[in-house]
Amino acid sequence: MREILSIHVGQCGNQIADRFWRLALREHGLTEAGTPKEGSSAAANTNMEVFFHKVRDGKYIPRAVLVDLEPGVIARIEGGDMAQLFDESSIVRKIPGAANNWARGYNVEGERVIDQIMNVIDSAVEKTKGLQGFLMTHSIGGGSGSGLGSLILERLRQAYPKKRIFTFSVAPSPLISDSAVEPYNAILTLQRILDNADAAVILDNEALFRIAKSKLQRSPNYMDLNQIIALIVSSVTASLRFPGKLNTDLSEFVTNLVPFPGNHFLTASFAPMRAPGQEGQMRTNFPDLARETFSQDNFTAAIDWQQGVYLAASALFRGDVKAKDVDENMATIRKSLNYASYMPSSGGLKLGYAETAPEGYASSGLALVNHTGIAAVFERLIAQFDIMFDNHAYTHWYENAGVSRDMMASARNNIANLAQSYRDAS
Amino acid sequence: MDPNLERQIASASRSVEEARRVAYHDSTRIGALVEQISVLADLRQKEGDFRKAESLYREALYRAQEQRKPDPELLTGIHSLLAHLYDRWGRMDQACQFYEKALKIAEAGGIATSDKVATIKNNLAMIFKQLRDYQKAELYYQEALEIFQRTDGDQSARVASVFNNLGVLYYANMDVEHAQQMHEQALYIRQNLANDQMDSADLSQTYINLGAVYKASGDFQKAEACVDRAKKIRASMNGYHPNPRRAAALLIDKSL
Repeated sequence: MREILSIHVGQCGNQIADRFWRLALREHGLTEAGTPKEGSSAAANTNMEVFFHKVRDGKYIPRAVLVDLEPGVIARIEGGDMAQLFDESSIVRKIPGAANNWARGYNVEGERVIDQIMNVIDSAVEKTKGLQGFLMTHSIGGGSGSGLGSLILERLRQAYPKKRIFTFSVAPSPLISDSAVEPYNAILTLQRILDNADAAVILDNEALFRIAKSKLQRSPNYMDLNQIIALIVSSVTASLRFPGKLNTDLSEFVTNLVPFPGNHFLTASFAPMRAPGQEGQMRTNFPDLARETFSQDNFTAAIDWQQGVYLAASALFRGDVKAKDVDENMATIRKSLNYASYMPSSGGLKLGYAETAPEGYASSGLALVNHTGIAAVFERLIAQFDIMFDNHAYTHWYENAGVSRDMMASARNNIANLAQSYRDAS
Repeated sequence: MDPNLERQIASASRSVEEARRVAYHDSTRIGALVEQISVLADLRQKEGDFRKAESLYREALYRAQEQRKPDPELLTGIHSLLAHLYDRWGRMDQACQFYEKALKIAEAGGIATSDKVATIKNNLAMIFKQLRDYQKAELYYQEALEIFQRTDGDQSARVASVFNNLGVLYYANMDVEHAQQMHEQALYIRQNLANDQMDSADLSQTYINLGAVYKASGDFQKAEACVDRAKKIRASMNGYHPNPRRAAALLIDKSL
């Protein structure tokens, strides 16, 4: 069995957990308490063990570790209809909070809680037979998800050097910003993701906001954004959890999507994007679905499409999709993608397929791509970082918590180099 | 891996999980959690997985500090266990740091004269000896000796052990005269111990150490006699040692 352990860190990470596990439960025919629904057929033909751990009374418990330095979000999950779902021994919540400061999450509060988190992760790993890797959901702009998330990444890499580490990292945007120091937190976290993760799907609040707004025809809230993220997380792992003609796992993604070491920052797109409640009515034909999957304004990062090129791409289709349709349409799509000149034009698109679509969808598509235009996201964050950093704004909060200006400058330069390496690869 | 140990670890893991669940709702039960975590950490250490053992002890440490009324004895204990782990791991500076923290907590908590503190001081001295800081080592051994003499009485196994350790220290420092005094003291105590405290392995070790000292001072006849006695005691043990872990600790002493 190729289990995956999910680690949800911080407010944003746990809000994603709330949406994502709801979705996973429905896809696998489980109730909110983790017991199989009566008459559900989904359980019969799925690899439940990838995401769930079965306990004695027939109940399934998510392979998940929930971590937060503020009790709010987790308390809401526990108070809601999924109250019975998670194993309380794998929830770590502490009171003090990281106060939006990366350095507090990484050093001060992180120091006190990291060992407990690692012990909880170790004991979750011991319940697996052939763990393939970890998924982490977090935001890189706040304090807990960014600072503590960085610390967890470092320790995870030390403890499990051979396992795959995938992050779903939500990048801050001035369009919906919580605090001024988000660029600092983001740059410091990106450096740890660069050093310790195998791949990171960058979910840019700026792009998510735009997508949600245009598809929902109203002003979106965080819940809407997290729903999109949950659909993406679920689709990435779908071909492992459900039978299909093409099986892909985390390792295959990495091999196919990361052509150069360090250039492992991906962006994703989910189609068809519909408002909650409307999914059922929509039956898209496959050419439309494929086109929407690779439509530029459907991607979850504000990519610079003009200057950049594709380094690699993969697509995963779920549900009512015919192999013949896929073959015919993907050739067209492949031709329309602007690949780097040195990439093989034939082999650059990895395909995956799973029989079961997300709840409420007849079929769905997911694109996961490595595009050099992602440099624009890093450059945007660096520009915001520089304005404050050059004027010494807010840096004393970081110095007080053990993160020197030198450390910040070095993280900034590493990410600037990363952006440059993407530009050079164009 | 030893299947017996594997079973013990699996059951200890389950106990820790259960204790975590209980403590999650009821913070007054953190003490029980800390206890379970230490059990698991000790097993991990036996297994040789120092990283996991470290993580567990450190969790225990921070959980114990969360308690409304921190228990100095518990905190001293965890610090000292963690230090012992670092010592076995070869991370001497961290071991020193945690032993010294343990001593500070013990002092502030009013348990500076307990036998636990004496053990910590003895172990700390061993580390300083390995780091060739002989002055500090001597100081800590002497403090440990004083406490053990008060808690266990002059004629006790632990007092003899500290005398032995001091002897090894002086010997390593080329101070043969003092080394001889210490080992003679240790021998005197060990020969007169009650049966339940008597340990043949320790006794034979004392003879070997004393033999080395006599040899260094040029008294070869006495040296040979000591080694013969040690050999006889070993032979009568038939290779059996009642406490293999302590035997290992003594071997570390001998190598220096």
